[in-house]
Amino acid sequence: MKRLKRSTGTLMKLVSRRDSGPALLFIGVVVLFAVFANVLGFDPLKQDFLHTLEAPSSTFWFGTDELGRDIMSRVVFGARTSLVTAAGAVLIAGAIGVPIGLIAGFFGGWRDTALMRFIDLLLALPGILFAMVLIAVFGRSQGAALLAVGITGVPGFARIMRAQTLSLRQRDFVVAVESFGGSSAYNMFRTVLPNAWNQILVQAVVLSSVAILVEAALSFLGVGVPPPTPSWGEMLRAGKSFLHEAPYYAVLPGVILTLSILSFDTIGRALTDILENPEDESEATEEETVQKPALEDAR
Amino acid sequence: MTNYILRRLAELLPVVLLASIGIWAIIYAVPGGPVGSILGENATQEQIAALTKELGLDRPMLVQYFDWLTHALQGDLGVSIRSREPVIDLIAERLPASIQLAVGAILVGLAIGVPVAFASALRPKSWLDRALSGWSALALGVPTFWLGILLILFFAVELRWLPSASRYIPFWQNPVEAVRNLLMPALTLGIYVSGILARFLRASLVAELRADYVRTARSKGLPERQIVRIHVMRNALLPFITILGLMVALFISGTVVTEATFTYPGLGRLLIDAISGRDYPLIQGVIVVTLVMYTLINLAVDVLYAYVDPRIEYS
Repeated sequence: MKRLKRSTGTLMKLVSRRDSGPALLFIGVVVLFAVFANVLGFDPLKQDFLHTLEAPSSTFWFGTDELGRDIMSRVVFGARTSLVTAAGAVLIAGAIGVPIGLIAGFFGGWRDTALMRFIDLLLALPGILFAMVLIAVFGRSQGAALLAVGITGVPGFARIMRAQTLSLRQRDFVVAVESFGGSSAYNMFRTVLPNAWNQILVQAVVLSSVAILVEAALSFLGVGVPPPTPSWGEMLRAGKSFLHEAPYYAVLPGVILTLSILSFDTIGRALTDILENPEDESEATEEETVQKPALEDAR
Repeated sequence: MTNYILRRLAELLPVVLLASIGIWAIIYAVPGGPVGSILGENATQEQIAALTKELGLDRPMLVQYFDWLTHALQGDLGVSIRSREPVIDLIAERLPASIQLAVGAILVGLAIGVPVAFASALRPKSWLDRALSGWSALALGVPTFWLGILLILFFAVELRWLPSASRYIPFWQNPVEAVRNLLMPALTLGIYVSGILARFLRASLVAELRADYVRTARSKGLPERQIVRIHVMRNALLPFITILGLMVALFISGTVVTEATFTYPGLGRLLIDAISGRDYPLIQGVIVVTLVMYTLINLAVDVLYAYVDPRIEYS
């Protein structure tokens, strides 16, 4: 109950802030459109050859593409692709990265060295290259895109979790469980992990923004989720061929894409701020703040 | 110092080896593999057998890998399946283009990022600081491919000042044309770089300005400008070298997305083409070379760091 109350408190702070409030609102609208896309009557695949590459109008708010498909419908369904990929990638990255960081930080020694070397290896390869090789091998599919984006997020989770575990490991309540004979597994998953949720949550939000960017970049390169599934990156790729005839084609989906990335990033940073400076107790230190995998971004 | 460099090089070896095995395993573990992708779906059994033998793929996996490795150590990364040219030549041909773009992007990044960082760090929490940190967030968040498209729309389609597809022209051959072709991709990447640089530099400037030695300098009555220029800047710029080095390393190994946006012929494009053509020796070659360069530059940065900061000693 107390936990629930605290979560609502954090959410209220997020909503009332000047930076994260609008960002949350925007993400909320995108999610609503994505969820109720069918109910709202959007059809991303309907072709209308009498209305190809038509500029935005009251009928086609975002204009139409080279096959006469409604760009707004495709943006709405593209939101699905982006959000599903982001959510899946975050789950994959967390499911692999969190246990790695937890085990490495908890036990230390050879396990720490081995696991962190593996993470270094993942970091040594720019994420987008790794993702592209994976997709080249497995072929283009929603699953491959998800996996590829997810794996690029593993190092971030592993490092955050390791840093958290290292500091929590020294705390009295963790040492107490150990001295009472609690098993390592119990201690790791029931004592350390619940106390690291905040950091994991922040990392998940920040990674969502990176995942949306990487998914769009892969689609832009022509190796993302295969057509005809609408994707923002794919729309930019197609629109780039019609810059003279239909500039809005590549511009409008890009606006939504950019706003989504910025919104998740803003929420992530606001969340760090709120969680690190609560009125009552402050325990987070500088080094524990989110390390956005900035340099591995898709550039 | 020599010992340190040698040890780092020794540490580098297993990473590169493991990565090359990893890439190798991913590529060859997959059913079909290179042969299937070269011949297509309608190939006969005989054709498949002949090509498998020709490419040496009928030998045991380990033998194949060590064969590749011994050649790679001698600088022979095999032959591209598609173009039949040596992989190392293809890479050498694209590398200068990637380096030129990297240099251009870093220059743009410095030109924007450093003034932004100083302007906001000297007046923390002011409206200017807020506005400039908004700039950093924007620079980091905007996808380069969309920013690139906007630049093409404005400078190439609207104004017709710059070519919409950027060719690689060596700077010393024709500086004017080189800059015309490089401007948009360098600006696209450079804006992203400026976001990162501004954030890091602002953070370290703010931290340094709170340091004891700054308070001492102020109490001595030194003018603020002199404190910043002589004392703070030196210390704040140190961590900066690491970031800058990382970015050089990253960009030289090819900026896949930006190069694709402007159809710029760098290493990144080479890799995309290799991947879409399933040119396995080329994929493997580009990735291994990229990895080696990336780690070597990182090492160089660490060494340089110790050189400029006498407080750091590697043993």
